[in-house]
Order: sequence, then C-alpha cells, then structure tokens
Amino acid sequence: MRRSVLLIKKNEALLWGAVALLLILALREVGLFEVDRLWRGLHNLAIFAKDTVPPDLDVLPLAGRALWETIEMAFAGTLLGFVVSLPMGMMGARNISPWPLVVGVRLLVAIARTIPSLLWAVLFVIMVGLGPLAGTLGLALYTVGYLGKIYAELFEGVDPEVLEALKGVGASRLHLARFAVWPESANAALSQLLFMLEYNVRASSILGFAGAGGIGFYISLYLQVLDYQRLATLLLLILGLTLTLDVASAWLRERYLLQG
Amino acid sequence: MLPGVSEVTDALAVRAKGLRFAYRRNQWVIRDVDLQVPRGQICAVLGPSGAGKSTLLRLLAGLLHPQQGIVEVLGADIHNHLPATIRRRIGYIPQQLGLIRSRTALENVLMGALGRLGGLGPLLGLFPKEEVERARSLLSALGIEDKAHEKAFRLSGGERQRVAIGRALMQEPLVIMADEFVSDLDLPLAAEILGKMRQLVHQKGLSLVVNMHELPLVREYVDIAIVLKQGQIIFSGPAQELTWSLLEEARR
Repeated sequence: MRRSVLLIKKNEALLWGAVALLLILALREVGLFEVDRLWRGLHNLAIFAKDTVPPDLDVLPLAGRALWETIEMAFAGTLLGFVVSLPMGMMGARNISPWPLVVGVRLLVAIARTIPSLLWAVLFVIMVGLGPLAGTLGLALYTVGYLGKIYAELFEGVDPEVLEALKGVGASRLHLARFAVWPESANAALSQLLFMLEYNVRASSILGFAGAGGIGFYISLYLQVLDYQRLATLLLLILGLTLTLDVASAWLRERYLLQG
Repeated sequence: MLPGVSEVTDALAVRAKGLRFAYRRNQWVIRDVDLQVPRGQICAVLGPSGAGKSTLLRLLAGLLHPQQGIVEVLGADIHNHLPATIRRRIGYIPQQLGLIRSRTALENVLMGALGRLGGLGPLLGLFPKEEVERARSLLSALGIEDKAHEKAFRLSGGERQRVAIGRALMQEPLVIMADEFVSDLDLPLAAEILGKMRQLVHQKGLSLVVNMHELPLVREYVDIAIVLKQGQIIFSGPAQELTWSLLEEARR
C-alpha cells in the first residue's frame, strides 16, 4: 500500500486553520449566519428594486449638471493633490532625502490618508462653506495621503546605480529628483494618477452627502424622500460615468504608459 | 592640460593607504590595500569575482567609507570635506552604467555637466548651448553621433557603454573610476573603446582606474595593474609584467 505524504508543513496547516476559524467567527459576529434576517433582506431588496423601475428621466437635466460638478471636483481635486504629492513623494523617499525630512513628511501623509475624503469634506464645509470647493479640497487632501505614500515608495525603487552615477557627477538633490527619479518612475506614477482619478470620481459622487457639492446631494435627497425612481436615474448616470472612465483610462494606459 | 588643474599637478591622481573595509563586522572584504596611480596613467584592478574589485572601486570613488585607511584623489581626502570643485571632476561609471533609461543618449551625456551648472535652467530642461555642443562633439568623438536622440534603453550594449563614457568625459574629469566597463563587450569592441580611452588619458593627462578581466587587453592598453585575492593585493606593478599564472594564483 502506498503511503501518502503530507506536503503541507504542520505550521502552515495550523496557520490556515487559524485563518479559517477567524473568518468564520467574524462572519458569525456580523450576522451572516442569521438565515431569516438574510431572507428578509432579500425580500426588501426585491421591493426596492421594483420601486426603482422605470427610472424617472425627468430628473436628467438636473442630474446632468450635478454630475458635471462631480467630475469637475474629481479632476480639480486629483490634480491639486497630484501637484502636492510629487514634492511630498520626493521628500518622503529615503534614497534622495535626509531622514528627518522623510519621517516628518511620511507622518503628514499618513495623517492625510487616515481621514477619508468624506470626513475631510465635512471639515472643509465647516471652513469654507457648502459647495464644490469643500469637496475639491477634501479630495485633494486624501489624494495627497494616498499618492504621497505610493510615490515615495515608487521613487525609492529607482535603480541606485543611476543615482550613484549622478551623485558622482556632483548633482544636487533637486537634480537627482528631476533627472533620475522622475524620468525613471514617471510612467508608473502617471498610471497611479489615473487610478487615483477613477477612485476620486467614485468618491466625489458621495461628497454631496455632506453638502460638499456634486451629485451626492441629490442621491441623499431622493434616498430620504424615498423617490427611488429618480435615485435609479442618478445611480445609472454614475455607473455610466465609471464605465466610461474605466475604458478611457485603460486606453490611455495602453496607449501611452505601457511602452518602454 | 585642462583648465584649473595646475594646482594639483604634483599630486598623485589616486592614492590609497591601509584601506580596510567590511560590510559586516569583522568580515573584511578589503584588507590593507595600498595603491598609487600617477596622473596620466591607466590602472587595472584584476581578480576573480568576489575578490573585492567593485568594493575597492566604490571606496576609491568615495561611495563607501573605509573602516580604516584613507583615499586621496588629487591630493584631497575623498571621504572628508572633499571640495566640490574636485568632486565634480571625478567620474564614476557603475557596473550597469547607471544611464537614465527613458532619456536620450545626448541628455544622458549632458548629465555630466550638472556638477558645474547651478540655477534653475537645468531643472527646467535648459542647458547652455556650449554644453550641448560639447556633449554632441563627445558623442561624435565616441562614434555614436547618429544615436544622439535615441533613448538609452534602445541602445546596444556597446553604445550604452560609450554614452556612459561620454557622460564621465562631460565632467572634464581628472580621474575616472570605471567598474568593469568593458567586460560586457566583445573583444574587438572592448579594444576599440580602451584604445580611445588610452588616447584621451594620454592627451589630457587624466587617470583611469578600471576593473577588468581580460589579460591581453590589460597588457596592451593598461599602464599599471593590481591583482586582488580575497581583498588583499597579491600583485602590483607594470601591466606588462602581469602573467596568467598570477591570475591563476588569485583564483586559488
């Protein structure tokens, strides 16, 4: 008789066992195993879905304007955040910046990232009042938190020989950033920027919940007055926008960023 | 003679004394290395891989700090308050050349001028016309003027090598340290490039320290040679006196 051999090590098996156990406990804790509750949920979903058809297209002109404002906020916020993230990334990269600066910048960036853009938007609504300016600033700040970290790590990945070669020439830190770090990581950095833009377009559509401009205001309005047919129109618009952006950014990446 | 050189003419190009270096505590990679390279000469460093050639080059170029001993380049201590005027005239060519892949050959050569160019101009991509002309003429002296606007990652191995040399020459160097810079090339091409370097070295009175493997090339183009074995020098003298048996000895 052939004896089977255990290929998985004992420690590995224990680890996977522990992970599975934790998952099951967590799911139970949040109530995923309460069958009748889930069943009721499905029932409610069916009612909600029925109430959304047919979507009310009368709301289109209004929704279109709000959607445009959402897009503007996303673009402006992303661009503003990008412009700040570049120097932050450079200052946060250990291979070209002195360590006290690295630590300080990374802390700032971590703080910006800890707070989601919706909360930043609330803060800016308090500071600059209702409207798209608050939303734009909120998005920009979260963008700095995210891109600032990604860029610092990206810039640290630059071939050290390129840096050494330029340091040997007597190049300054600014020279290194401009001529070695940026050109060597520009493609990846722009690709990340596109992802960030996609993310911000989605994120900006709920900023209106906090009165920070865009289509989110109407989403929260129609949710509260239970006007699901108008709500459906808005959600379809956002779906369309997200898909369009997906296709556009995939095309841009393929066309311009993947070569070399 | 290059401008601004007179004040250092008497000094040796490179002098190392009692160098010891370890990446990890007490595991010496370089032990008690002494080295003297006169101006206007080529010095080759030989030895099997792992003998410490690259480490020695990086010590000489000031990229690593020795635990003991000193390195003087043109009479100045390279690890302590090296004047910027000397720093920018020491060329260093890393093993993989360290070219900016996404930039053209011409732009890569221009990088050699960064040390003497201050101000905003270069950061905005503006280089003085005479520097651009100088870079062009270096490319044509190295025989690759037709590749000036080709991106570095599209160049062949030999072309990339020449761009790296061009970048070093753009520094108006007094000393060039090159880590294995002809080892990736086939023999005729390596000989051609070494020949060009030898010409420049003798014409301009600069000095070259280079890691190499090929004995015939060393004998023909190099003035002095040292052989490393486990971080120690086992031969140091005129390149013509170097023999196969010495290299064999280093390998054992």
